[in-house]
Amino acid sequence: MMISAASRPPLIISTEPSHVDLHRLKDLYAACNISGHRLRREGAAEPVDPRKLRIAVANSFVVVSVFCRPIDSSSSGAFIQRMLPLTHWNGELVGFGRASSDSSLTASIHDVMVIPSLRRLGIGRMILKRLIRVLTSKDIYDIAALCDKNERLFFGACGFGDDMLNSTTMMYTRSSSNNAHQGQLIL
Amino acid sequence: MIFGLYGSLIIRSQQRQVNSSSQIFLPENMKTLACSQPVSTFDSRRQVPDQLLFPRNFNCGLPSGVSRRFKIYHQPKSSFWESIRSGFEKNSTIQVIEPASEDGLEEESLLDEFVLSERTLPDGSVEKIIFSSGGEVNVYDVQELCDKVGWPRRPLSKLAAAIKNSYMVATLHSMNHVPGSDENGKRKLIGMARATSDHAFNATIWDVLVDPSYQGQGLGKALVEKIIRALLQRDIGSISLFADSQVVDFYQNLGFQADPEGIKGMFWYPSY
Repeated sequence: MMISAASRPPLIISTEPSHVDLHRLKDLYAACNISGHRLRREGAAEPVDPRKLRIAVANSFVVVSVFCRPIDSSSSGAFIQRMLPLTHWNGELVGFGRASSDSSLTASIHDVMVIPSLRRLGIGRMILKRLIRVLTSKDIYDIAALCDKNERLFFGACGFGDDMLNSTTMMYTRSSSNNAHQGQLIL
Repeated sequence: MIFGLYGSLIIRSQQRQVNSSSQIFLPENMKTLACSQPVSTFDSRRQVPDQLLFPRNFNCGLPSGVSRRFKIYHQPKSSFWESIRSGFEKNSTIQVIEPASEDGLEEESLLDEFVLSERTLPDGSVEKIIFSSGGEVNVYDVQELCDKVGWPRRPLSKLAAAIKNSYMVATLHSMNHVPGSDENGKRKLIGMARATSDHAFNATIWDVLVDPSYQGQGLGKALVEKIIRALLQRDIGSISLFADSQVVDFYQNLGFQADPEGIKGMFWYPSY
């Protein structure tokens, strides 16, 4: 059940890649317990690799960031903070989402996340709708997302559904990349 | 309604100069080609049995940097305050990243081409199957191949852009050579596969197809395995695809698992 948007703290949403502060993004990934890897790997619960995160964000077709006005309890700073307009560099990164694409036919949505304390306020939905809006504005309508059981409810509520063509989702699950390739492949 | 949208796209693209790198060949008049066929929006992902997979061009090494064009990432303009703040913070990882050096990590030469197999035909000519990646892709040939395997038509310009901006595109060509003559025959596209990726964590394989007359030779299997190996070499761990029911077994034999850990793919459906 969604609390009304009126009770949400002030937010701004941005699709500008230069607004993505990789340091804070890494913290957000950690706060949401997301490592970037879809399947559980050995040595699970690993934090997201910052170098790979940088590459992934750089090569994502769309990135969406949501910033929130930080709540500063000390009264001296609070007044000034409320006066300043909320921007990407003085706000706190509380939500994120990205999509990779071939820029014309298909897109895949990854890593949609909101910090735990601000969930169920419609922020995730906002992120997803913005991702879709940018993609459809570029004429990309084949938008896919890999969802586990919990995410399915979220994506389902945002207009996603099972494949109309009844395709089966499959993922490669053989030896992880850490293992040396023992010549198991032909050629 | 979707068809109308594509129709208007084609008209628009006629007016603007479509960026034709030497690698993608586009027709003069795309309108007649595209609008005469019904268009489906959901066919990119179909991995149907008639289409085996052949990675053709591993595109991430495009020397001209054209594929970078569609990447929205700009050089982060480190604002004045950010640069001061980063100077003060101790373990700050904020840094001004030059796109060039960043791409330099990936700009390995990925043009790869070799002969996969050779066989002698009854008429004495030698037919080579050539695997290639990162090389030229003729979008007309791809469209023709899609017709052969029975896929609905997609707008040519979109297909060309998709191929150009895929992380990996691998192809198979057949080339006939008559022994005794100096020249090689024409290359014919007989298989293709492409994969999109964020270059770090996830990749999805789309559009895997092989000419029906060349199927059943293990070519498709080799293609998929090549793509997988190349992706794993780059430590891209999540490789996914959406398979039609008839090809689920084919992919299972290659190491794919259906709905692993309960993860399913969902697709966006606009509600009008």
